[in-house]
Amino acid sequence: MKVMETGEKTGFVGRLRLRWANDSHFGTVLVLLGLIILQTLVLGFDYDSVGQWFSAWGRNWINILRNNAGVGIIALGMTFVIITGGIDLSVGSTLVAIGAASMMMLDIGPKGFLGNLGITGLPAYVLTVIFAMLMGLVLGALTGLLITKGRIAPFVATLGTMKILRSVTQHFMQGYNPRVPREFLQLANLQVGGLMFMPIIYWLAIALILIYVSQRTVWGRQVIAVGSNERAAQLSGVNVNRVKVGAYTLTGVLVGIASIIQVARIGTMDFANAGSGYEMDAIAAAVVGGTSMRGGRGTIFGTVLGMLIIAVMNNLLNLFGVPPFLREAAKGVIVIASVLFQRKESA
Amino acid sequence: MIVEMKNIYKSFGKNQVLKDVSITINGGEICALIGENGAGKSTLMNILGGVLPADSGTIYLDGKPVRFANPAESLRAGIAFIHQELNLINDLPVYENMFLGREIRSRWGRLDLETMEEKTADIFRRMNIELDPRAMVRDLDASYKQIVEICRAIMMDASVIIMDEPTTSLTEPEIRRVFQMMETLRDQGVGIIFISHKLNEVMDICERYMVLRDGELVAEGDVAAVTTDDLARFMVGHDVRTEQLTREVRIGEEVLRVENLNHRTAFRGINFSVRRGEILGFTGLLGDGRSELFQAIFGADEVLSGRVWLDGQEVKIHSTEHALELGIGYLPRNRKENAIIKDMNILENASIVTWPLFAKRGVIDINRQEGLFTEQIDRLGIRLQRITDSINTLSGGNQQKVVLAKWLAARPKVLILDNPTQGVDVGAKEEIYDIILDLAEQGLAIIVLSSEAQEIIRLCDRALVMYQGHIQGEVSGGTMNEHDIMRLATGGVLSAS
Repeated sequence: MKVMETGEKTGFVGRLRLRWANDSHFGTVLVLLGLIILQTLVLGFDYDSVGQWFSAWGRNWINILRNNAGVGIIALGMTFVIITGGIDLSVGSTLVAIGAASMMMLDIGPKGFLGNLGITGLPAYVLTVIFAMLMGLVLGALTGLLITKGRIAPFVATLGTMKILRSVTQHFMQGYNPRVPREFLQLANLQVGGLMFMPIIYWLAIALILIYVSQRTVWGRQVIAVGSNERAAQLSGVNVNRVKVGAYTLTGVLVGIASIIQVARIGTMDFANAGSGYEMDAIAAAVVGGTSMRGGRGTIFGTVLGMLIIAVMNNLLNLFGVPPFLREAAKGVIVIASVLFQRKESA
Repeated sequence: MIVEMKNIYKSFGKNQVLKDVSITINGGEICALIGENGAGKSTLMNILGGVLPADSGTIYLDGKPVRFANPAESLRAGIAFIHQELNLINDLPVYENMFLGREIRSRWGRLDLETMEEKTADIFRRMNIELDPRAMVRDLDASYKQIVEICRAIMMDASVIIMDEPTTSLTEPEIRRVFQMMETLRDQGVGIIFISHKLNEVMDICERYMVLRDGELVAEGDVAAVTTDDLARFMVGHDVRTEQLTREVRIGEEVLRVENLNHRTAFRGINFSVRRGEILGFTGLLGDGRSELFQAIFGADEVLSGRVWLDGQEVKIHSTEHALELGIGYLPRNRKENAIIKDMNILENASIVTWPLFAKRGVIDINRQEGLFTEQIDRLGIRLQRITDSINTLSGGNQQKVVLAKWLAARPKVLILDNPTQGVDVGAKEEIYDIILDLAEQGLAIIVLSSEAQEIIRLCDRALVMYQGHIQGEVSGGTMNEHDIMRLATGGVLSAS
């Protein structure tokens, strides 16, 4: 990313053009636009009632975005992790663990933690959200410490935590079905003008913040340095371990947020299956968006684009009536194709 | 067997590495091949070992011209090359290592372990070696690993063995053991080419010597007729000392002091101090431990024991980040591996060190970083198009200046420069020298690490010469010369004068 540009800042248009000229996202954006046009054509443009057509098109899009907001948020953290040269396989299991714990706090049944303390309503919701983020933070930091201080390869360390968190959660949640208060569901399902777009707003807001973090903050740039050349970064006074732990911790917090969204959307969670495969979807989004698995290269904006490409593709396959089992294959094709495409581009 | 290499030429691109080199090695003698780093020793031996082709020239075995397309052909002709990095597999027993790639098989392709073990035991007996063929290579000390490699060469009926610095990682008794083995081989008629930097060892074990300098054979003869002093002089050439750089020397109070610093493997018992305005040199041969020493002082590696003072206060530096905060700068050797971050642009490479120093609540102060770097561009004469271009667009010399710029912007008290002119052309080299002198005049304490004796002599007020992880001696002032430095660097001592 061209972050610190100098010269040629001839107003807004000039900067935009400069950006456009040497922006690594150019190809990704084109692919996304192509897919969107295709999707629009498939939906069928209705010349007679443009208004109606547009509202159907918009609704379809809000659905797409809302369904992908959770993974989309996790993918943002995954991007940082992958740029440092690591990987986090545990996001799906962490999501379930945090989801279970949050639901236990909120439960309106006799075992509800906050309910038993006499905390209900808004204070309980706020506490739960804070708790979910804190729990993500702690789990993420622990993962980071395992990898840095414990010197365990990221793949292995997170494979371990992935198994542990899922199985422990399933064990403790056997035969226990917490009931989440209806009001809490407003967090994800609040309707404005008949449209539900809260998760999209969370995703967008977090993405914007993280784009800034990645481009302008010391930590954000150090992430790139560590991933690109760890030794050189260390010999430039960068605390490599702290940078890495930061990436896993951030991912943990984001998983906490995604978990809350998941709980708030339907008020229940399938502890055996919820979140499974999220790690792969998040990695796929990052890779399609131009993040290199070797580290050192990748952007948050790219990951958002990558997530959108995968989402639109899914939607298209749905519209085309492709059998559901084949859709995963299509995802695989996109991931491989995008990497081949990018390699040619960067060579 | 007599091996002759006649009129060998070899160049890599524009760089002429070997110029008309002719050597002879006879069976039943140990012959030393010495020279400074980059003199062409490895290239010459790689040609003999079939690793590299010569541009021109011929190799004769017992008078018959031969041509080796690859190491296997050379080995079949009876020439074994034992590289510095040994070619053994730690998790296999000795006897299986002896037959790597040429395992003996019985019917159905089964490995015939019994025969392999027997044959190994035979060789050991013949060579008078007390070693269990069934021992795991992992459990052997470095000398026995070396010995296993030599025995493997013997088993393949090698009549000439090239040994590339076999003793660098060995202790004194281990060296003795390897030498004994070499003598046994010599007495059995094998010719040995012994590449070494340690002149004492050459005097000890070799009958003849050959000296390469800048790709030419500059001296050869009987070891009995020369001293280590002579050999050192042959290696560096006669009085190549050029003009001494001058500056206004104003040496102030002590900035950095190190006492009895020890590392697990790389160095031990290090004591030195450096003052404001002083340029202190550290030199020695490859693998003398000086880079490891300063990377440890800089917090990039752990030390076992020892104390470090900065401005009179004892400090325990636990990370490079901490060293940076304390005012220590370290420009590493091997720019590409240790300094350049290829996925970032020029400005970012030039400001990574100062990001945390001038950040506001964790946000990089871009304008300030730009300002700092612009200053350095003028000061260091960095030639670039735009500061947002990729770092890869710059030449080696300019990349090195960018790396220097990031440390100057941090305004350290002590600046450690490890091979500061590595891979830069002559012009840029002189420019970097001027910058270093200028910094010292401004009161910085500067430590220059270099294996080029000339660089040390021209830049430094005094220099410590390292040998195998400890400081072998000190040279200083106008009496510094390559001869003394080479002598210390090869493990010798200076006579009191």
